[in-house]
Amino acid sequence: MKKYVAILAAVCLAFGVSACGSSSSSSSSGSEASSASASASGSASASASGEATTDESERTTFVVGFDAEYPPYGYMDDNGEYTGFDLELAQAVCDMEGWELVKTPINWDSKDMELNSGSIDCIWNGFTMNGREDDYTFSIPYVDNSQVMVVAEDSGINSLADLSGKIVGVQAASAALTLLQSEEEGGQKALADTFAELQEFADYNSAFVELQAGSIDAVAMDIGVANYQIKTRGEGYKILDEALNTEQYAVGFKKGNTELCDIVNKDLEELTNNGTVAELAEKYDISDLICLEAE
Amino acid sequence: MSFSTMLMQLSSGMVKTTGIFFWTIILSLPLGLFVSFGRMSKNPALKNIVKIYISVMRGTPLMLQLMMVYYFPYLLFGMNIRTFRFPAIIIGFTINYAAYFAEIFRSGIESMPVGQYEAAKLLGYSKSQTFIKIILPQVIKRILPSITNEVITLVKDTSLAFSLSYMEMFTVAKQIVAKEATFTPFIVAAIFYYVFNFVVAAVMEHFEKKLSYYR
Repeated sequence: MKKYVAILAAVCLAFGVSACGSSSSSSSSGSEASSASASASGSASASASGEATTDESERTTFVVGFDAEYPPYGYMDDNGEYTGFDLELAQAVCDMEGWELVKTPINWDSKDMELNSGSIDCIWNGFTMNGREDDYTFSIPYVDNSQVMVVAEDSGINSLADLSGKIVGVQAASAALTLLQSEEEGGQKALADTFAELQEFADYNSAFVELQAGSIDAVAMDIGVANYQIKTRGEGYKILDEALNTEQYAVGFKKGNTELCDIVNKDLEELTNNGTVAELAEKYDISDLICLEAE
Repeated sequence: MSFSTMLMQLSSGMVKTTGIFFWTIILSLPLGLFVSFGRMSKNPALKNIVKIYISVMRGTPLMLQLMMVYYFPYLLFGMNIRTFRFPAIIIGFTINYAAYFAEIFRSGIESMPVGQYEAAKLLGYSKSQTFIKIILPQVIKRILPSITNEVITLVKDTSLAFSLSYMEMFTVAKQIVAKEATFTPFIVAAIFYYVFNFVVAAVMEHFEKKLSYYR
């Protein structure tokens, strides 16, 4: 009996230690701002000076919160490292400022708590600014986005009016959901009221599988994401020509954190002028969505 | 993404899952025992406090508790919680599972016949000697199947660490699914969980056999 207790204790220790080891090691390999530092989301930032809102000239790390299930803006690449248009752009900003980029994948539902509590410095991940201006300090917009409807190719649905009486899926806590619930000018509550049901999903994969299986008729999402999903999944889907709205993506900072926001704005302008933004947009196939223009 | 990269990513997530699992077991079992003492205490104040604790822990979702633990220092004191993510997860899981374990311990301890305490007293055993040498070994024997139940549930509950943005195995699986647009990572994740639980169940069964003397 004693022997087994000893073995079990040893195993426990080994796992405990390795769990700690794997996370703390990433802070030492800091320059490699890849999956290593991102995967150790919690403890990697231990090397940070601490306070988020103190003097910006002393900043050494830049903690970006993103949804890792949001290609092409933020996702896990073929090598298991976090990448995407937004993350590479953030990396470019960090390179200019000499900060270390810490990629922290967050639970999208708790993005506000993560930001307000200082766990992350900004939300940079296809983050729609329209309608959220009162809640965050936003950078200059960098992508012209629109919310669109994706339907099955053979569904016979060709316009938003055809969606009447249909079941429509939408990601929880997303801009598309807010839009479909908004009664204000430009909101689509009236359209949503014609749906048989507005179904909320945690992620686009389940939404697409349900769309494929026919248990829902359409999915509302951002055009960039829709393009990526259709490209990855192949034939069988189409985007309705009528968009629900047009809106902009920007980097969201904690309300009042203008100091950090100004630095990022300045860098974004510079990155636009030197062509980095256009280059990245090309790489991620979203060139026609970029709204930053070189001077 | 190649299949081997996917396995690598899921394995690194599995290391984190296992970390949560073992830390929770190591901390919550002893804590549960002490909580069960409080629950059976003759002091009505202590007994009622512990009763409320167990009732809240069992009566509210674990996901909510995790979020409360993590954001509590910030919401109440405005503290910086950047390095608090992993500790918060362990604390959250531990206080939740301790409540369940406490009730399991209580069921075991209260099932012991009073005659054993009386006999031990007659033989000159002190109260603590009686408990440690006579009662506890029998209790462990009796409650092992219920403990196994909870431990297996814990393995699967580790996926709730996602609510605190901790990249445990299931979260990684979801990210790969989002990128690859296939269900394969979920199937692999299911196999990982099953194998882990299979091992847990086998180890526990082994202990049960070892402890089934006098039968």
